[in-house]
Amino acid sequence: MTQIKKFFPYLVSVLAAFLVVGVLLWALGFNPIKAYQTILFTSFRTPNGFVQTLLKWIPLTLTALAFTVPLSSGKFNIGAEGQMLVGAIGATAVGILFKDLPPALLLPLVILAGMLAGSFWGLIAAWLLYQFNINEILSTVLLNFISFALVDFVATGPWRDPAAGHPTTIPIGANGFLPVLVKNPPLHSGIILAVIVAIAVYIFTSKTTSGYELLVTGANPRASKVHGIDTRKMFLFSLVIGAAVAGLAGVIEAAGTHHRLIEGLHSNFPTLGLIIGLMARGKNQAVPFVAFFISILEVGGSAMQRTIMVPVQIVLIAEALILIFILLSDIIKRRQK
Amino acid sequence: MSGLETTITDFLKLTFLSMVPFVLASQGTMLGGRTGVFNVAQEGIMLVGASVGFLVSYTTGSNLIGALVAMAAGGLFGLVLAYFTTTLKMDQFVVGLALFFIGTGLSSLLPKLVIGITLTPPLVKTLPEIPIPLLSQIPIIGPVLFKQNILVYFSILLSIFLWYILFRTNMGLRLRSVGENPKASDALGINVVSNRYITSIIGGMLIGLAGAYLPMVYTGTFTDLMTKGRGWIAIALTFFGAWSPLPILIGSLFFAAIEVLSFRFQVGGSFIPYQFLSMLPYIATIIVMIFTFGKSRVPAFLGQNYDRERRTL
Repeated sequence: MTQIKKFFPYLVSVLAAFLVVGVLLWALGFNPIKAYQTILFTSFRTPNGFVQTLLKWIPLTLTALAFTVPLSSGKFNIGAEGQMLVGAIGATAVGILFKDLPPALLLPLVILAGMLAGSFWGLIAAWLLYQFNINEILSTVLLNFISFALVDFVATGPWRDPAAGHPTTIPIGANGFLPVLVKNPPLHSGIILAVIVAIAVYIFTSKTTSGYELLVTGANPRASKVHGIDTRKMFLFSLVIGAAVAGLAGVIEAAGTHHRLIEGLHSNFPTLGLIIGLMARGKNQAVPFVAFFISILEVGGSAMQRTIMVPVQIVLIAEALILIFILLSDIIKRRQK
Repeated sequence: MSGLETTITDFLKLTFLSMVPFVLASQGTMLGGRTGVFNVAQEGIMLVGASVGFLVSYTTGSNLIGALVAMAAGGLFGLVLAYFTTTLKMDQFVVGLALFFIGTGLSSLLPKLVIGITLTPPLVKTLPEIPIPLLSQIPIIGPVLFKQNILVYFSILLSIFLWYILFRTNMGLRLRSVGENPKASDALGINVVSNRYITSIIGGMLIGLAGAYLPMVYTGTFTDLMTKGRGWIAIALTFFGAWSPLPILIGSLFFAAIEVLSFRFQVGGSFIPYQFLSMLPYIATIIVMIFTFGKSRVPAFLGQNYDRERRTL
């Protein structure tokens, strides 16, 4: 019963957002029922639709965790975008430089390099916060813009693939590709990594002492400090861990999906990751489920653009509205107490 | 005129031209912050201002109407921010981020709905230069300061006006006190809520106008994500300017100069890859933050919501 009660505000928020967007669609001259059929069922109609959904779920879950893990300590990591891209750069660089290594070596190296690169990008912001008390929202956002230029530099530099019209590097060594799990439609093993990370984060935050300290820091930094937790170290630590997870998202896109670095490979995943993290109210264990729901909307949204020509941005508006309604439901709950 | 003089004049003129979005967005941020409302949706609001401003001037043929509607849209975002934070007491960062998403989404959706997808970008007329008689004849200073578009003049006058209001009038004193100690202000009969609403709305209007400046002066058209982080830089700039109108004006010149330099070097060609030059504004912002954060004076109640029923602040 309490589970249903907990779920109820989510359901109402989603329905309310769909209602508003439905009216908007109708006003614009589209058929809302047809639109929602496409949005909600594309993922489940065909095996391809389902695999597409899983492939979106991977980066969405990881970038959302990159946001919620630091948020557990009260810090806002808006830099998953940059950390993901720098992670992809690290993975690609190692994958190209050592392309002749055997898979048993190259694949772990690619993953490690990407995660380290991503966490280094987060470390810059974490260090600026630790050392100079610089607001992490600003530093992580600014680092995003720097990372765009960095990707452009790498993808148009000596590793450029001259055959590609868009800034793209040559492929990494085939031994660095993430193994394929299902051949047709193709699903790579990035999903296993994402599941492992999601479970690890859950275990860390809910079953370990340092995970507990992390949550306490977020809940009440002053009380935590009084009780001997080094809160500033917690901020640093959580931002770096979040960045490593975002870096892994970059690794998976580079070594699993594209097998190379492509400008714009981050797509809109990091932005959606933030929305997912906020929808999950910062709860790490809720992230994978919310991410799955958003993956369905995203796959359905692009199908809708193809079939009935509704601009895909409508889905972003729907997602933002769901978020607002979920936040509003908190206030209603507070008032009822 | 010698070659060097032309170069310097051109550079300064462009710097004053590029200063405007920074001045407007940062003064808007400052105004809200002075009563404790910390807006972090600048990037999204500027995009909405750019998108709406462009679309309205395109359909009506009037930049003035476009700019006014962009301001109204920005003001609406400011109103929503004030309502969710001041009335509903939700976390300011969370609401700001949500508004940032909505603004970004709306800005790219609206042109597709209004204009659709076209092969050649639809263009609006860019703002004309309005030379001020006599003054614009002065060498160097004339073209730099007195031969600019109307919003350059507006942003300078606005900064002086805001300084006067905030630091030389009773209204400004009351307004600032709300951001420093709302409980004491409330006890003195100052309306905390209305002060927060008004500054947040006017702040949003200025940020919306800052966005509209981009298509109306730089490009003549709207492109997705055309703000390129200027909204975020404006937040850093506000800290750099110690939440004070005149230092913000000076700081805007600094950030504008870096933007112009970065662009000039990219176009002019140099031994440094252009990608690294395009990082310049962001790196400069981070360096500036290192030197100003923690040292600059910030409204004491910045980013916090005031609940008059609570006993402690």
